[in-house]
Amino acid sequence: MIFREVEDRDLIGRARRGDVDAFNLLVSRWERRIYNYLYRLAGNREDAMDLAQEVFLKAYLNLGKLDDVSRFAPWLFRIAHNEAYSMLRRNRPETELTEPAPEFSGPRMLPVEVGLAVERAMGRLSADQKEAVLLKVYQGFKFEEMAEILGCPVSTVKSRLYTALDLLKDALAPANTRGVE
Amino acid sequence: MNCAPSDLKDYLFGELPEAGRRQVEQHLAACERCREEFERLKLTQSALAALREEEPPRRIAFVSDKVFEPRWWRRLWQPSPRWAFASALVLGAAIVAHGFLTGMTPPPPPAQAPVNFEARVAEEVARRLPAAVDRAVAEREARWLRQVAELEAKWDFERRADVAAFQEQVNYLKKRLDVATIQLARAEGAQQP
Repeated sequence: MIFREVEDRDLIGRARRGDVDAFNLLVSRWERRIYNYLYRLAGNREDAMDLAQEVFLKAYLNLGKLDDVSRFAPWLFRIAHNEAYSMLRRNRPETELTEPAPEFSGPRMLPVEVGLAVERAMGRLSADQKEAVLLKVYQGFKFEEMAEILGCPVSTVKSRLYTALDLLKDALAPANTRGVE
Repeated sequence: MNCAPSDLKDYLFGELPEAGRRQVEQHLAACERCREEFERLKLTQSALAALREEEPPRRIAFVSDKVFEPRWWRRLWQPSPRWAFASALVLGAAIVAHGFLTGMTPPPPPAQAPVNFEARVAEEVARRLPAAVDRAVAEREARWLRQVAELEAKWDFERRADVAAFQEQVNYLKKRLDVATIQLARAEGAQQP
């Protein structure tokens, strides 16, 4: 992690001086994380890919405004959060779920079934709750970093995450008792 | 320590300081209800890990585009330790030189009007920008068209793959249902005299 930060710091410095190749290298180190975060938020691959491109373009254009290079990850995810929410606000009627998905039944769930159950359970969370889970569980950010990305107090971040966790715990109870060990 | 579900979650995510961690561990050792709750939280965390990360459908890359590159004077002006050191050196030398030369030389002639650097820059930008923007727009449109064609092909391929995967999943579940039905029938048959 420390080496990664040191290398990112070097690449950011070079990209700030107009080195596009250095920026491309930086993109290649972060695109998978940003894409997956956006994919889970947006709900489809095409939107996630378009959003990811916009995120990195904005990052390139605003790299000079990044005050503390060690905060690159929260800064980049803040851009991604803003882009995703702009899109979600535009498309809200189409992205809302209309009916609950059916439950799986069976004596024991396979990993693929657990994955599907998790996707469904995540789909029932509010956008704020889902994003809190994505940033904490899948991206491993600290609460302070999440607050920076989401632009809200740490107490709000914790409240969203813990409510989401309780909902997921209930929704995934069948998977927990049968599929995961 | 009393039962505190939020502390259990802080502990689960490694967000507690050392003292807080020890308190939670001691409490877990003593409280069965909290131990069970913590087990459920861990299982939920494990289940969440089953959601796999995906590879982006294509790589993101940028080409060097003059429109977006910082101008030479901006690169020159960018703050850096080297510039700070050089500035300090020049300022120091100027102060020393001033100390030696004050009173020894006649007053300098009035300074010439400074070259209007900003106006020249603006003129040069105005001369070059339209052509660069046109070129960039044309290149971007061409890229978009290529990307649209690629996306259409990819979307079609992915749709077919999704349908096949879904069908496979449905078939699998049907088979499991059949097996369960047969087992149930056998069990019922075995119970009857």
